[in-house]
Amino acid sequence: MTERRVTFSPEQIAAYAEASGDHNPIHLDDGFARSVGLPGVIAHGMLQMGILATVAAEAAGGPDNLRRMSVRFAGMVVPGDTVTFRATPDGEGKLELSAVNQRGEAVLTKAAADYTP
Amino acid sequence: MAAVAGKTYPAVQIEIDTERVADFARAIGSNPSDGVPPTFAAVYSLGATVPQLFGDQDAAVDFARLLHAEQEFEWQRQPRVGETLTSVGRVASDTSRRGMRFVTFESETTDADGAALCKSRALFVIRS
Repeated sequence: MTERRVTFSPEQIAAYAEASGDHNPIHLDDGFARSVGLPGVIAHGMLQMGILATVAAEAAGGPDNLRRMSVRFAGMVVPGDTVTFRATPDGEGKLELSAVNQRGEAVLTKAAADYTP
Repeated sequence: MAAVAGKTYPAVQIEIDTERVADFARAIGSNPSDGVPPTFAAVYSLGATVPQLFGDQDAAVDFARLLHAEQEFEWQRQPRVGETLTSVGRVASDTSRRGMRFVTFESETTDADGAALCKSRALFVIRS
């Protein structure tokens, strides 16, 4: 089992917005996020998937071995949340993936990867 | 409601830029010396093509009501820094039920030789 625990910060979310080119204000502007019914800025789902993919790549023996990865964005992650990202072997060339917050809620579901062993 | 299933957008070329890859790697807590992070496909495959969908008046996607619900990537290989890739976006399906619109947007990325490199599949849910 490969695991990484990350506490999200507004700075990391802003850095991801800049690097990915996803400047949706729900990730950057607390006032705007509240105006559309969110508690404040939220992390990009793709930031969560990106962290989970690094864990999956490590479990697969390197990024070049990854063949497929899929997730469902099931829960919001806000600054201050701590998420545990985990990859568990699930048969030949398969990984079961999970991302669970500090309250035990899955923020990514239906998460899995295939790799070349 | 506009339904644009089957619509394919013009090809987009994108270079895998050293600095952008390093910034992306740092943002996800990865080591830039480990090469191009797998989900940099969010930039060269999905990110290169999806603005065409969002900017398409025929598709009429209300960005403010849009939720990225699911994402899948399939890789033939990971790209190298300095490569120029080509990505083509396509609306694989576009359906509505119970006041929600479900758009599956696929992007296929090929390398300079035309060989398949990555396929992205995004499911967007748009509340009405």
